[in-house]
Amino acid sequence: MQKIQTRENCVLKFKPEFSRVMYKTSADVRKTHISGLLLIKRMPDSSIRVVFTNEMGFPFFDFGFGADSGFTVYQITPNMNKKYLITTLRKDFELILFRNMESTSSYSLQDSQLVYHAYPQQTGINYYITDIPCRQLVNMQRASKKKPVVEARFPGNIYGNEPDSIIIRHLNFNFTISLKKISGLAAE
Amino acid sequence: MTRSLILAGLFFCCLNSRGQYAGFTELKNAESFKKLYIQSASATESIQADFTQEKSLTMLSEKIISSGKFCFRKKDKLRMEYIKPYSYLVILNGGKIYVRDGEKETKISAGSNPAFQQVNRILIDCVSGNMLDNPDFQYRIFENAGSWLVEFKPMASNLKELYKNINIVLDKKDFTVSAIGLYDATGDKTNIRFQNKQINAQIPDSQFDIH
Repeated sequence: MQKIQTRENCVLKFKPEFSRVMYKTSADVRKTHISGLLLIKRMPDSSIRVVFTNEMGFPFFDFGFGADSGFTVYQITPNMNKKYLITTLRKDFELILFRNMESTSSYSLQDSQLVYHAYPQQTGINYYITDIPCRQLVNMQRASKKKPVVEARFPGNIYGNEPDSIIIRHLNFNFTISLKKISGLAAE
Repeated sequence: MTRSLILAGLFFCCLNSRGQYAGFTELKNAESFKKLYIQSASATESIQADFTQEKSLTMLSEKIISSGKFCFRKKDKLRMEYIKPYSYLVILNGGKIYVRDGEKETKISAGSNPAFQQVNRILIDCVSGNMLDNPDFQYRIFENAGSWLVEFKPMASNLKELYKNINIVLDKKDFTVSAIGLYDATGDKTNIRFQNKQINAQIPDSQFDIH
């Protein structure tokens, strides 16, 4: 793999614009299956709220991602109120929300087929992987210094829209989150 | 029915800062209410209804609305089938819980998911008339011309973490539940309204099968 000049606009054109979207969501953690509804909403101050409830209205968590930086736990059910879980979910959402895209520290690597656009985070690196002509976002990865630990995809379309579906898969333990857009559910 | 539903919707919005409900007055003596309620509850063997669930996320100015079919049969069988805009089925039967989420089926035994079990238990107690006897709650009763409103405040600390209060609206003419309002500790609320109620209709066992 060789280092190439960063093409900033290549990755940013795939950044999804979540204005207000609801996903039917399932999460499989080892042998436990949780399902529910996940709302992603951009607030008037440009922060983003990610709210997860079960289908019967029972609240799991309510996270806020600041307009530029920052993260707030507005609410979390006692069963899920574990630091490692909150950190894991925060990083997962930061990856798919294209957060912390500091251009001065970013760099790109290219192999024979793909370009790995690297954005160093506080710990680890987020990679946005495209084809060489930058027509397609192949997937997203969160990696430690040694290896990828999370892989995320937007199957189907994106191009700046709200993705129809999102899959976040952890590679170091059995944890997968699947989201599928639903319509006709949220009324403002 | 329409009138009571409108009223139910109205007073879920109208809880004032003193804990009163617009258009409702608090009953000072609950004994006659309790007597009638227990009589009616003991005569209710089953309830079938359509339901509309409205989850209000106050800080986000959002409402999540879903609907489906509801069945209850004494003493501890409950089925809630969400049909629109997503498919989700939950059955409670004898302390066991069955959940079908799309293609995925999950069986949960009593105790393995206490929070989920507790919430569903509250729903059963609300429709079966057992909530007045639940020691985990203190209650107040309000009335207007067509409805009773029973406000339950959780006493147990684990419930206080989840709910500020749970309100049941009962139709005065038959003492059946018109609506259940679950007020989260966070300030959000879930309001489940029941329509097209059928009391004591035959509900086959298959509706509550946990395979």
